[in-house]
Amino acid sequence: MTTNFYPQQYKATGEFPINHNYLDRQFADYPEIMKKVAHVIEQGDYTLGSAVDKFEADFAALNQGKFGIGVGSGTDALFLSLKALGVGEGDEVITTPYTFFATIGAIVTAGATPVFVDAGADHNINVTLIEKAITAKTKVIMPVHWAGVPCDMDAINKVAKANNLKVIADACHGILSQYKGQGIASVSDVACFSMHPLKNLNVWGDGGVIVTNDEALAKQLYLIRNHGLIDRDNCAQWAYNSRLDTVQAVVAQHLLDNKITNISQKRIDNALYLDQALKDIAQVSMPERDVNKKAVFHLYMGLFEKRDALQQYLQSKGIDAKVHYPIPMHLQPAAKSMGHKKGDFPVAEHIADNCLSLPVHEFITFEELDFVASSIKEFYR
Amino acid sequence: MTYLRVPFVNVAAQFSAMEDELVDVFKRVGRSGMYVMGEEVTAFDKALADVCETKYAMSVGNGTDALILALKALNIGEGDEVITAPNSFIASAGAIAAVGARIKFADVGADYNLDVDSVAAVITDKTKAIIAVHLTGNPVDIDALKTLTVPKNIKIIEDAAQAIGATYKGKKVGSLADIACFSLHPLKNFHLLGDAGFITTNDKTLADEISLLRNHGLFNRDESAKWGLNSRCDTLQAAIGLVKLPHLSAWTARFQAIAKRYHHLLEQHVQCPVWSKDNTPVFHNFVIQVDDREKLMTELTARGVDSKIHYPIPLHLMKAAENLAYQIGDFPVAESQAKRILSLPIYPELTDDQVDQVAKSIIDILAAH
Repeated sequence: MTTNFYPQQYKATGEFPINHNYLDRQFADYPEIMKKVAHVIEQGDYTLGSAVDKFEADFAALNQGKFGIGVGSGTDALFLSLKALGVGEGDEVITTPYTFFATIGAIVTAGATPVFVDAGADHNINVTLIEKAITAKTKVIMPVHWAGVPCDMDAINKVAKANNLKVIADACHGILSQYKGQGIASVSDVACFSMHPLKNLNVWGDGGVIVTNDEALAKQLYLIRNHGLIDRDNCAQWAYNSRLDTVQAVVAQHLLDNKITNISQKRIDNALYLDQALKDIAQVSMPERDVNKKAVFHLYMGLFEKRDALQQYLQSKGIDAKVHYPIPMHLQPAAKSMGHKKGDFPVAEHIADNCLSLPVHEFITFEELDFVASSIKEFYR
Repeated sequence: MTYLRVPFVNVAAQFSAMEDELVDVFKRVGRSGMYVMGEEVTAFDKALADVCETKYAMSVGNGTDALILALKALNIGEGDEVITAPNSFIASAGAIAAVGARIKFADVGADYNLDVDSVAAVITDKTKAIIAVHLTGNPVDIDALKTLTVPKNIKIIEDAAQAIGATYKGKKVGSLADIACFSLHPLKNFHLLGDAGFITTNDKTLADEISLLRNHGLFNRDESAKWGLNSRCDTLQAAIGLVKLPHLSAWTARFQAIAKRYHHLLEQHVQCPVWSKDNTPVFHNFVIQVDDREKLMTELTARGVDSKIHYPIPLHLMKAAENLAYQIGDFPVAESQAKRILSLPIYPELTDDQVDQVAKSIIDILAAH
């Protein structure tokens, strides 16, 4: 009847089943979370309220920002940020074609035009190409901290300042990332986070958070995520409804209070371990690890020769390797009217053709990573 | 004298009554690790279509998004006009603004629903749709609206946020027009434990379009046909919905029984709801009208009875509507009702004793004036 192909089910069944999705194991902790969820439910508190307020403040602080605004999803976070900054019809937003659909969907839904700038060696937007893409219509630069690797924010902020542009970071992958020792929310005007189930700090459904240091902007965002209501009966402006469910805020708060630092550190440890294990394989190329950027490895993504065959091989061994994603945004059917063609953004296209993500989540052990690495070596032998 | 406390809503009571079942859902979905879309959502969509007697139902993030996506699926935007009622919740108008179209209000009748003559008076060449709000759970006279819209190819979107289960001429709301939008917000007759909503239609093209629009325009994991946002009912909420749905008719019957009781006790004393014989309303709100509403409200509170106003300020007089240049007097019926209406507590867990106390309190307060 209607399209519902999600979620992509891959259940690894090999000797060493290494799944991309680990949520069943995260849920092992449920009695404690359920107790807290039951508490808000008993109060009949299902939308907004003090549990959301507290989580917003803590989440903002975690990423070194002042104001947190809980919203329905990471996608809505991007869309609402654009609207709050007044971006719309006739405006241009500079971003990368190597991203998830939501980055472009948010820009187009706001009425603006996405202007693509190719990716660089770090898989993020190539900052040296931004200046050239700026026109009189450019309002915003939207860098994407892909995989949880921060973009070159000094360069981006410099060009933004020189041209009087705002920077909305798509930090959907970047919870707890740091740039030059600074929390990721403090190095752009606005940072948009996703708490979709497979994000480093997740909820049990859709959820997102916007973080900013700009009080006026935060006030506008609190308004437009909730019908423009200034109180129960007064609507100051026509707006939207995009709220982080109270129940979900409780789930996220539990992870924030008890786990996020460990989740993050375990992913980093796993990633660096895998870096070592893979470094001598000529057919594998990982992006350079920049000491100025604390990556949180929402994805552990590298470029692999014969990617499709390798993915198949790994899956046959029970390792759920995934492609995030095979078709860059400028080559999507949705981009048809924009008139791009293959070859327009060669780096993004090269990444899309060769990228593969290996599981490094908090439940993966070094022993399992050894198996992943030896399987990859075996494939190339 | 001590009074029985009568809160305006008591969503926690419903949860407590079903707590074991609902906690099991949390555990089952939690352990599955599948929190977005999937089988539960497909099954919930199917069950909602069955409830509304339509071919298709697509669950979405909330009732507001349902309206926005319905408008988008109908290709309504910049330069178009959409007519709706000024006495509805903000979202009915907000959704029109959200897609870039112009909001046009028309006045309502004694049943709080759009008045057909007022609608006829504001139709222009630019009118693309009418958002017909089944306010309080009482269906709009859709056939009367269709005499206006069909010849001009104007679409009707049912705003059925408050009306799940209600019928018009024997047909379920959601199946009465081109497309219909529902809310499953915690304060609705049928609700989940957070924000959610759904859309129903019999039109396959619209259903397919909504399915794309609610999920990034994706037609498979890696390809998007259309740029958009995401607006999905959480899998967890869908699973909760599936457990609750078998109770819907019993809950609806209880809303109707309470309404009947209020009506019987109060009809000699205050203006009670009116509805057409064609309708079976579901009484999301039981709205009375009185002269000195504020005084009644205050004195009810003193007697432990909560009441609310849905809504005190009509939409055309909101700050948000300033640029639409309406003024006081433009919609006299809606404006007069806004000053007189009061919603009484109504929910399945409300006991007959509580209903009697609400009614007796009103009668006593009015008699003392």
